[in-house]
Amino acid sequence: MSVEDILSAENELTHLLGAQQAVVLSTRVRLARNLQNHPFPGWAKEAQRKEIADKCIKALTQLSRFKKAHIFKMSELTDLERTVLVERHLVSKELITGKSGAAVISRDQTCSVMVNEEDHLRIQVVKAGWHLRSTWNIAEQLDDALGSSLEIAFSDKLGFLTACPTNVGTGLRVSAMVHLPGLCLAGHIEKVSRALGQDGLAVRGWLGEGTEALGNIFQISNQQTLGLSEEVIMKHLGNWIKNLVEQEWNARRKLAEEEGPRFTDRLARSLAVLRSAHLLTSVESMNMLSHLRMACDLGYLPETSRHLIDRLIIEGQPAHIQARHGKDLDSDGRDRSRAIAVREALAGLPEITEPSA
Amino acid sequence: MCGVIATVHLTQIIQGKVSKIHYCEACANKGGAGDPAFFELQKLAQATTLKPAIVCPVCKFTDIDFRRLGRLGCPSCWDVFAAPLDQLLNSVQHDSQHMGRVPVGELSFNQIRKQISTALAEMNHAIKSENYEKAAQLRDEIAKLKTQIPTE
Repeated sequence: MSVEDILSAENELTHLLGAQQAVVLSTRVRLARNLQNHPFPGWAKEAQRKEIADKCIKALTQLSRFKKAHIFKMSELTDLERTVLVERHLVSKELITGKSGAAVISRDQTCSVMVNEEDHLRIQVVKAGWHLRSTWNIAEQLDDALGSSLEIAFSDKLGFLTACPTNVGTGLRVSAMVHLPGLCLAGHIEKVSRALGQDGLAVRGWLGEGTEALGNIFQISNQQTLGLSEEVIMKHLGNWIKNLVEQEWNARRKLAEEEGPRFTDRLARSLAVLRSAHLLTSVESMNMLSHLRMACDLGYLPETSRHLIDRLIIEGQPAHIQARHGKDLDSDGRDRSRAIAVREALAGLPEITEPSA
Repeated sequence: MCGVIATVHLTQIIQGKVSKIHYCEACANKGGAGDPAFFELQKLAQATTLKPAIVCPVCKFTDIDFRRLGRLGCPSCWDVFAAPLDQLLNSVQHDSQHMGRVPVGELSFNQIRKQISTALAEMNHAIKSENYEKAAQLRDEIAKLKTQIPTE
């Protein structure tokens, strides 16, 4: 089993036709857990980390959800393979730079558990579209299943004990990956992210902490984990996402109405460039694919093309392009390779047309 | 510079130019005096040689390690550093009492405490209504529940 399998297998985020939704790209639930009586990964000695990894991987591979799962030890992967996993959001940057990190990833790539990241276990479940309840249910099942075979560090007062005080308690981070081109174009995004920040939510870029918002895509998640129940945390995020989706739709409708042909032109130009460019940087393609995704949402392109756009957003990232190509590419080579992939994928798309009212 | 073995090494980068100066301790205290960067460096060096005030007996993690890393050493550190962490939790978290799920198979102490107080109320009610049989039953139940939580 290799990272290559990850790239070629049909999976939730890149192939699940019909699951894609306007505005919310994906829902993610993450639980931080640690083993009782073992030092946290950042403080543990090499031998201890190995022991922890063995224990966790053994417990994980016994779960039915991880039947035939991918098991990756970070030290056994190439730099490129590790970066592919980061670009897919299957592991974090912190995991690949740390020591003795491993990941167990379910066949369908919806569940991935990082071992020896900041905590011993980081259980992650992701689903395309906005499905907080069902995503949570899977995470909860995994948590219970792991809890019955591993002794999990827990205190009655502080809940699940984690390495960092910002995760203690529920250890829960729920997030939505949202696509907000309307609010970005209207210049409201700063105001919105300030409001979210003041209400205890974090707004991050495409690849999480400290990354920029490529393609008008933002990751929105809860910040507090202690003193609130999982239900309350999820409800809080859920209410905001509902509100945000509404605001985004309003911004898009207003733009389309006020800009008229200029709005259609903007979308059409993006499609034209993506379909004929010979060199495409990842930033450029992300930003233009963002326009096409919005075009699908608003009926300027068939809605059934949305999954294609989502796939290109993921597969157009640098390590993905490199891995597909097989040989070492310089930056121009990557831009060329990306342009070819995008051009081929979009060849069958109809022209941008204004939706009939 | 003065012939004594240099123990303080200062690397300065000023407008892209790297310069390295090596002092013995005595010269460092003299020579470094006019240099604000050196003062900062000295403060840092002192901070890292400070004696730790709290040490986790299980994993040897100290309060100084926490200041440096922002993360704890092991689950037991949460007990050892309870007091300073409480302050921190108050500023970054909603509250300092866990309100969420408990590990599978583990009934949280709080839940048990709640059960005890409900049973107590029921027992008092039973006594008032002279239902002594039920009260005795509840008394035994409470005693059993009390063995499952730490005594305060």
